[in-house]
Amino acid sequence: MFAYTIRRLLFAIPTILAVVTICYVMVHLTPGGPFDHERKLPPAVLANLQAKYHLDESPLQQYFFYLGRLLHGDLGASFKYADWTVNELVAKALPVSLAVGGLSVPISMLIGIAMGTVAAVRRNSAVDYLVSALGNVGNAIPSFVLGPVLILVFALLLQNGHGVGWLPAGGWGGWRFRVLPITLLTIVNVATISRVMRGSLLEVLSSSFVRTARAKGLPERTVILRHAMRPALMPVLSLFTSIALSSITAAIVTETVFSLPGLGQLIINGAINRDYTLVLGLVVLVTAIAVLFNLIVDLLYAVVDPRIRY
Amino acid sequence: MLKLVFRFAPVVAGVALTLAVAHAAPPANVVLDPNQELVRHYGAEAASLDPAMDETVQETYIDTDLYEGLTRPDNKGQIVPGVAQSWERTAPTTWVFHLRHNAKWSNGAPVTAGDFVYAWQREVDPKTASVYTILISFVAHAEDILAGTLPPSKLGVRAIDPYTLEVQTKTPVPFFASMTANPVLAPEYRPVIDKFGVEWTKPEHLIGNGAFTLQYWSPNDKLVVVKNPLYWDAANVALNKVVWVPMDNNDTATKQFESGQLDMTYELPPGSYAQLKARYGAEVHIAPESANYYFALNVKDPVLKDVRVREALSMVIDRDTLVKRILGNGELPSADLMPINVEGANPTKRDWESWPMEKRIAVGRQLLAEAGYSAQKPLAVKYSYNTADINKLVGLYVLSEWRNKLGVQGTMENQEWKVFTQTRHDGTYQIARDGWSADYNDATTYLDLVRCGSDANDMRYCNPKVNALISQGSNELDDAKRTALLTQADQLAMSEYPGVPLYQRVTARLVRSYVGGYTDLDPMDRVPSQDLYIIKH
Repeated sequence: MFAYTIRRLLFAIPTILAVVTICYVMVHLTPGGPFDHERKLPPAVLANLQAKYHLDESPLQQYFFYLGRLLHGDLGASFKYADWTVNELVAKALPVSLAVGGLSVPISMLIGIAMGTVAAVRRNSAVDYLVSALGNVGNAIPSFVLGPVLILVFALLLQNGHGVGWLPAGGWGGWRFRVLPITLLTIVNVATISRVMRGSLLEVLSSSFVRTARAKGLPERTVILRHAMRPALMPVLSLFTSIALSSITAAIVTETVFSLPGLGQLIINGAINRDYTLVLGLVVLVTAIAVLFNLIVDLLYAVVDPRIRY
Repeated sequence: MLKLVFRFAPVVAGVALTLAVAHAAPPANVVLDPNQELVRHYGAEAASLDPAMDETVQETYIDTDLYEGLTRPDNKGQIVPGVAQSWERTAPTTWVFHLRHNAKWSNGAPVTAGDFVYAWQREVDPKTASVYTILISFVAHAEDILAGTLPPSKLGVRAIDPYTLEVQTKTPVPFFASMTANPVLAPEYRPVIDKFGVEWTKPEHLIGNGAFTLQYWSPNDKLVVVKNPLYWDAANVALNKVVWVPMDNNDTATKQFESGQLDMTYELPPGSYAQLKARYGAEVHIAPESANYYFALNVKDPVLKDVRVREALSMVIDRDTLVKRILGNGELPSADLMPINVEGANPTKRDWESWPMEKRIAVGRQLLAEAGYSAQKPLAVKYSYNTADINKLVGLYVLSEWRNKLGVQGTMENQEWKVFTQTRHDGTYQIARDGWSADYNDATTYLDLVRCGSDANDMRYCNPKVNALISQGSNELDDAKRTALLTQADQLAMSEYPGVPLYQRVTARLVRSYVGGYTDLDPMDRVPSQDLYIIKH
C-alpha cells in the first residue's frame, strides 16, 4: 500500500501540470483582462501595469515564469488585491473553508449514512417515506433559497430583546457564525448521501450472501451491521471526493449567502476580476486536494472491501 | 482686479475653514455611549491600503480613516484643513500649503512637506504602476512622468521647507485644495515603504497619519481600525474603534443590519427602499450623490450617427415614472449628464422636458420619420448592459418606452463586467449602460465624458467647439465666467445627444439612529469615521 500511495502521489504531478496548463490557456483566452476598468486606462498607465505583472512578455514566457514560481511554492502576487500574494490569500481563506466544509462533511456522512440505513431497513415504512421526503426536499431546494430561509428564521425572526438575532445573519467569527453555514451545507449533503445509502443498502440486502447470512439464523442487526453495511458503503465512499470538494473548496453559494471569507469567495472574485494568478493558484490548490481525496477514498476502498488489495 | 480675486479668495476660504473645523467634535448636549465602536459595511473588499494604489470608493473610505491629506472632508462634505492649516494660490497654477507643526505619523514622527513630495512622486513613478492617476495628473508634468518621458523628480511639487509645500498645476485648477482631501494624494511614510516593500500595508507595519490606525485586516472578513492617539486632532475624535465589514452582496448586508450586526450599510439592495423605510423610518438615509446613470449612444454607429434619432430616443422617455415606479430609491430624474449638486457648472434643461408627453411623442416620431424610419421600416437598436438586476430593469423599461411610443424594435444583450467594459471601450456596441461618479467635485469630471480623446469618452462623441469651451473654462480664473463656459460646453454637447441621461444616483443606506454625526450632505459620500460618534442608547 505504501508503494501504491507513493506512485499515486507521483502521478499527481503531471495531473496538476496538465490542469494548470489547460487553465492557463483558458484564463488568457477569456475575453476581458485584469486591467479593464470602468474608465479606460491611459496607455502609459496600462503599459506600466502590464510591465509590473509581466503581461508585456509573450504568453510562453509568462507560462514558464509562472511554472518557475510554482515550483518554488510561490503562487504569485494577486492582480486585484495588490497588497496580498495568492499564498497569503489562500492561507487566510482555507481555514475558514475547512472550518465550515471540513466539519460539515463528516457530520453529513454520519447523518446521511444513518438516515439511509434506517430508511432501507424500514423500507416502505413511515420512516422511509420521511427520509425520502427530506432527501428530496434537500435536493430540490437550492442553497440560495434554503440559506436565506435559515437566516430569516434564526437571525431575523428569532431575536433577543435588543434586536439581535439568535444567530448571526452572516460574517465570520466564533462558533455562532458557523452554525448556519454548516447546517446549510449539511442539509444539502445529507440529502444526497442518504438517498445513495438507502439505494445501495437495499441492493445489498437483496443479494444472495445476505440471504445466506439470514438463513444461518444470524440476528438482523448482525446481518446489517457486519455483512451488509460494508459493501453498501462503497457508493457512498465514491461520493466523498465530490462532496468534500464542493463543501470545502467550492461552497460558493453558501459562502456568498453567509458572506464567509473562504475559498469560494476567492474563486468568484478571481474569476470576475480576471485575477489570473489567483484563479491559477486556486486551481492548483483544488486539484491537489482532489488528488489527495481521491487517494484517501481509494485507500478506504481496501479497508471496506477485503477483496481490494494494493 | 482679477489678480486680487485669485490671491485673496483662497486665503479667506482657508481662515473660514479653520473656524469650521472647531465644530467637528460631537455637540456638547449629546450623551456619548461608553462603547464608542462602530461597525460599517463598505461593499466589495478594498484592493489595497496603499494610497498610491487607491482606486475604488471602498479604498477611499478606509484610507480616509488611515491617512490625512493636506485638506480633508468633514461630515457635511465641506473641505476643512487637514495636515495643511492654511493655503494660498499665489499664481494661477501655483498653490502653497502651510503644514501644521503638530501633525504626526502614528509612530510619532512629524508629518512634513517632504512626505507629500515623496508620496506624489512615488504615485507617478511608472514602477509603482498606480491605476488611478486622474487626480495626480492635474499636477505639472505628471502625465509625462507616467509615460516615462520625464523622471519623477520633475513632478510639479516641492518642499520649500519642512512645513511649506508648493504645488504647480498643469492648468489653473480652482478646486485643487479640495482634491487634496482624497487619500490618493495623502502623504506616505517612506522608511516603512523602503523597509517592507509591498508588505508595508499589513497591520503590523502600516504607519499612517489619520485619525485611526490599522489593527487587523483579513481579506473578505473584516478590517479593524482603532483611534490614533497621536493624531493632531485626536481630542475631537469620539470613536475608539471602527470595524469595516466587506461584502459584495447588499442583500446579505441588509440582513446583517436587521439582525443587529451592522450599524451602517453601504447601500440598499435595488427596490428595497419602500419596505425598509416602512420598517426603519429615519434610519433609512437617501441623499443625492454626485453620480449619474445614462445610456451611452455610440455616435459612430450607422444608425445612431443621426442626431435626430438620438434626440427622439431621449425625449420620449418618462423619467419620472422610471425613478418613482421602477427604481423607487429616491433617484432624481435627469436628462443631463451634469448632476444638480456638482460645482463648476449648472445642469441643462432641454425645452422638451416641460412639454406634455403627447407632444414629445409626436415630435419624436416626426424626428424618426425625417431620419427615414416608419412603421414599415422601424428603427432597430441593441442595448448592451453588464449583468445586474438594475441594468436589466432599466433596460426593459426604456426599451418598452421606445417600442410603445416610437415603434422602436429593441433587443437586449447582457455581458459579464470585464467583457462589457472592453465592449464599451472598443466601441463595439450600439447603446450601452453607463454611469459616472465624480472623481472630484467639479464639472470637468463630467465633461470628460464628452471631451474629444478623453479616456472616459466611450460614446466616441467629438465636437471641437465643446473641447474649446472646456479648455477655455478650465483656464478661466474668474469663477462665474468659468461656470458659464463649462455650462455652455455641457449645453452644446448635450444638444447633440451623445447619450441618454436617465437619472442622478443617490446614496441609499441604513444607519442606526444612535450613530451621530452622519449627515446626508456630502455629494461625494465620503463619511469620515472621525466625525461620527455613538450616542448613548
